[in-house]
Amino acid sequence: MSIFKQLGSQDIVSTKTLLHEAIPLTGTILSGAYGLRGSERNIKDYAHGMFQSVYDYPYLSSSANHVMDITVGYHSSTSLSMSTGPQNSKKINIYNQMAQVLMGYDKDGNIQKFDKDGDLTGGDKITACYFLNFSRLLTKDEIKKGSFELLLNVGAGSGSASSVGSSAGHTDSASNIRIQDVGASTNYRVNSPAGEYGILYAEEATNSVDLINAASATNGSNATHVPVGLIYYQAGVVVLTSSVFLRASSSFGNNGILSNVGYGDATQPAVHMKSDSTALNAAGAAATVYHAFKSGSISGSCDGLRDRIANIQFNNTIELNSTIHFCRLNHNEFNYSSNPTYLTGSQIRVKQNIQSDPVSYITSIGLYSADNQLLAVGKLSEPIRKDPTIELTFRARLDY
Amino acid sequence: MAFQDNSGDIILDVVLTDEGRRRLAKGDGSFSIVKFALGDDEINYELFNTAATTALQDLSILQTPILEAFTNNMSSMKAKLLSLSNNNLFYLPILKLNTLANASVAAHTAGNFVVCVDQNTTDNKPLGLTTSIGYSAAGTPNAGMLFGVSTDNVGTYIKIDAGINSTNVTEIDESLIETEFSIEIDSRLGSIVDKSGKVFLSPTAVDDDFIATYILRKTPNSPFVFTPSQEALEAASSPINGPIASTLEFKIRSSQDLRVSNYLFDRIGSTNTYTNAAGTNSTTKTIDSIVRITGLSTGYALDLPVRFAKL
Repeated sequence: MSIFKQLGSQDIVSTKTLLHEAIPLTGTILSGAYGLRGSERNIKDYAHGMFQSVYDYPYLSSSANHVMDITVGYHSSTSLSMSTGPQNSKKINIYNQMAQVLMGYDKDGNIQKFDKDGDLTGGDKITACYFLNFSRLLTKDEIKKGSFELLLNVGAGSGSASSVGSSAGHTDSASNIRIQDVGASTNYRVNSPAGEYGILYAEEATNSVDLINAASATNGSNATHVPVGLIYYQAGVVVLTSSVFLRASSSFGNNGILSNVGYGDATQPAVHMKSDSTALNAAGAAATVYHAFKSGSISGSCDGLRDRIANIQFNNTIELNSTIHFCRLNHNEFNYSSNPTYLTGSQIRVKQNIQSDPVSYITSIGLYSADNQLLAVGKLSEPIRKDPTIELTFRARLDY
Repeated sequence: MAFQDNSGDIILDVVLTDEGRRRLAKGDGSFSIVKFALGDDEINYELFNTAATTALQDLSILQTPILEAFTNNMSSMKAKLLSLSNNNLFYLPILKLNTLANASVAAHTAGNFVVCVDQNTTDNKPLGLTTSIGYSAAGTPNAGMLFGVSTDNVGTYIKIDAGINSTNVTEIDESLIETEFSIEIDSRLGSIVDKSGKVFLSPTAVDDDFIATYILRKTPNSPFVFTPSQEALEAASSPINGPIASTLEFKIRSSQDLRVSNYLFDRIGSTNTYTNAAGTNSTTKTIDSIVRITGLSTGYALDLPVRFAKL
């Protein structure tokens, strides 16, 4: 007689399962849903001005969830770096901080620059970039490789406040480029101290408008795509080159990816509200990404990027470690009950005579330690009959 | 807790209990699942209609809605299923509180047991006072009063009989004899000692809610569990009208916290009046609690209401 049954080594098995959730972030969450720019209640700017936080609801509400942080940075060696530039040292510090965490150090202990193709032995470097740091609430254990997609508007703009951003006119889907980690499920890099990362490639979302400079496309497996950044899957960080808003050849350099045909020098995408920056206004130039990085504030550049984002979507990954306990009930086990209603006096209520089979009804499964402490409990959705003609196996799965 | 959705497939909703999470967080290996038990807490077997046709006998039982799992380890698995190799059993043993055997096992008139937590509450006549509630004006121990600090084999003790409550059975099958009992008690309030108050026990476990579990086994000279002589039993000495397999006897010793401090009385207690040694009423601080006794062979459990009292 017993009320407990021992679990043998064959009755306990551990498994690992990867769960994926689809995370859609529409452009309206990032810009325009909760007020006009500069006073959006789901966007949090800090006194230090080094990054901007995006929430899915006005952040003063307890219902708000942190979505991501946005910031910008550049390497001190670029022409953008200028000691008199606004937040110059902070932009350099941001770049270095992100690079030392995500790229690590070279053999001499120097911080490595972000590399365009992940081959650290040479090639082009990303020296001025946006950083999208997604909340762990969304990415969970990691972003699923090959699932990331960012729709970015690169429509031409003059740089005036009214012309920047999807909430102010840049809603034309024809001017969107699609940035994806194409093929990353089987082709990714592991030479980062922050885990695995993939290359982000841009393509025109529609073929009707000439947006991307064909000569910028890579050769190889993604011949029609242009590398525009990196995505760190476990860290949940996207590094997006500033060149994504720059034409291939312009007075600001020859590093852009946008079409020389589709854009004039003065009609490159505006990504900064000029009124945010005294320096920009004084310069009188279009608020291109070059001007934004060089003469604009970090938060102003973040505003500009948010307004240009039409959609972000990815799948996250949750690594679920489970222990399954197989609770096996043989025909001659658990047919009686100690439930007080099971007896009337001491007589078993469910038996009509001594020869009839005992019967019990299972509603709960308790998992116990050696000292009889209830460590986990499972409830069935409906009672299950047990009598000597029935054998059952219950799978009780605990997820960690 | 809500009911579970029982409109589709049968599902098993499993959660860690608070005690399970505590042990997991400790990280000392104490979280180790080695066995399982089955429960039927929601089932009311009175709904089993033996007069109906076979297919309809348990219709009401099978329609019973099931609650979601409780995470409190003390709230689940109160009624467990039993494995017995003999399918031809018609009677099963039960546990019953024995308040008939002698004057020392009688419960208080209120139907519970009262633990006098200190000597002042038990007997303060030596101090020239008559406000204590352990003894009557005649000098005899009051019924149902457990002397929480006494080691003099006086006052009330608790007696539980395990047996088959039917005169249709004359002998109990060997497999149905209770040889182990567990007692669960709030360790902040008291502990388990033998009826003389001299033999102290250590709990086998204390959970996150301070509930201590004591395991008492039948051994040749155990002061707690023994098999009474069937011949010596008289109908009037036990509430079980039939063969008795085992008897459990114990007493509750009050905790030091209750003896030296009123903190718990003020926080989770109330006040009540009891007849004192002068025959008048004394107002005492009290805490009402439950002591659960479970026969580990049959799984049959008994909840005893116990009140801790302090002047």
